[in-house]
Amino acid sequence: MRTREDPASRPAPERRRDDALTLEETQRAVLNILEDFGAEKARLEDTQRAVLNILDDFGTEKTHLEGTQRAVLNILEDFGTEGARLEETQRAVLNILEDLSVEKSKVEDASLLLKGEIAERRKAAAQLEAANKELEAFSYSVSHDLRAPLRAIDGFSLALLEDYTGQLDAQGQDFLHRVRAGAQKMGQLIDDMLQLSRLTRGEMHIAPVNLSALALEIIEDLRRSDPTRRVEFLCAEGLDARGDERLLRAALSNLLNNAWKFTGKQLDARIEFDATATEDGPVFVVRDNGAGFDMAYAHKLFGAFQRLHRAEEFPGTGIGLAIVHRIIRRHGGNVWAEGAVGKGAAFYFTLSPSATTREETS
Amino acid sequence: MKEDRVILLVEDNPDDEALTLRAFNKHNITNHVVVARDGEQALDYLFGNGAWAGRDPTERPAVVLLDLRLPKVDGLEVLRRLRSDDRTKVTPVVVLTSSKEESDLTQCYALHVNSYIRKPVDFSQFAEAARQLGLYWLVLNEPPPQR
Repeated sequence: MRTREDPASRPAPERRRDDALTLEETQRAVLNILEDFGAEKARLEDTQRAVLNILDDFGTEKTHLEGTQRAVLNILEDFGTEGARLEETQRAVLNILEDLSVEKSKVEDASLLLKGEIAERRKAAAQLEAANKELEAFSYSVSHDLRAPLRAIDGFSLALLEDYTGQLDAQGQDFLHRVRAGAQKMGQLIDDMLQLSRLTRGEMHIAPVNLSALALEIIEDLRRSDPTRRVEFLCAEGLDARGDERLLRAALSNLLNNAWKFTGKQLDARIEFDATATEDGPVFVVRDNGAGFDMAYAHKLFGAFQRLHRAEEFPGTGIGLAIVHRIIRRHGGNVWAEGAVGKGAAFYFTLSPSATTREETS
Repeated sequence: MKEDRVILLVEDNPDDEALTLRAFNKHNITNHVVVARDGEQALDYLFGNGAWAGRDPTERPAVVLLDLRLPKVDGLEVLRRLRSDDRTKVTPVVVLTSSKEESDLTQCYALHVNSYIRKPVDFSQFAEAARQLGLYWLVLNEPPPQR
């Protein structure tokens, strides 16, 4: 074994120099070590902090994760609810589809029914058209064929009266006068019947009609036909309606002619044409201060050939008001009358505000 | 020479015929009246055929009084044929009928009838109408010149 150089064996100053160096070195080394240790300590603290941060973040991340987990669970739950709702919706849609197919077959049935009805209607309309044509031909026949014999009855009676006056006493002549009157009356009846029948058929052409103007024209004509009569006519202005002008003229004409006729014995004859507004539309009225009629017979007024006066009091065939009634009904309206014997009469009528060409059966 | 003017009366009804002639006589319308009792006879006269064979169609009547409803050939057809032949088309025609049917009126005027009279039922009115017709067409009116 080699013996270590024992420092103690060295010369003393060398030893003291070596000892001093080693202490400095050692101090320096320790200081370095302490420095390093401090640095390491700091680094360790950093690391600790870092780890703590990491643990912190980790905690946050864990919370996030838990949050996410909960969210996912919620979503799965909602999804489950949605799934159920979707199934319900599916069921509802299936039900609707089912109902729809039921409705569809109902609609098909209804449409078939409707087609059938339309075919029926068309057939009925065609039959009506045919019946109308027949009626026209019949009316034509009536007008021609019935009037001819009447003319013979009337004409040859007159021939008798003219050529055989000498051989006929007053009574004989009276008989012949009655024969003639009968023939003429029948002619008038035929004309009236034809007019009434013509009014039932024929299309209506609906348009705005100025009733005031019509009334004034009719009264003018009446004045011209009998200029000696003094009749006061009060006509409200602006009485308008919707309807067939030709037919409304005929109706007004009948009413005004009646008023004219039945005021024939009044010195201060007065006729009015006016209207009152009501919530269902205007009510028109033709009023006169003439002979009037007994309200007890009011229900007979509008029947065909019904008369409430004797022929010698006032002439007429009793069809005028039936014509008025027919026309007003075709316009979807109503007509009625009020009166008193010797105190005049008032004839009221309404017209449907939305008059169409729909035929009214009355 | 108004007396040689001829009236062609086309009328199938013997009563109406008698009454019309009576009315003419009463009012001194003594013109020669030719009576045709159906449409065929009327055309025979106008065009010189049948019972009237050899008659000159250009010798036109001063007026034709034409009923519409006639046997064999009706009044409208007579009017149509009369108006479509150059020899006869200017002949004055007065339709004298019971019909008030608008279609008759329309068709007659479409065929250029000169006048359309509705026969009154009242005979005195009828007689008055015949008188006026006679006076108008035979006395007042100038017929188209004979060729």
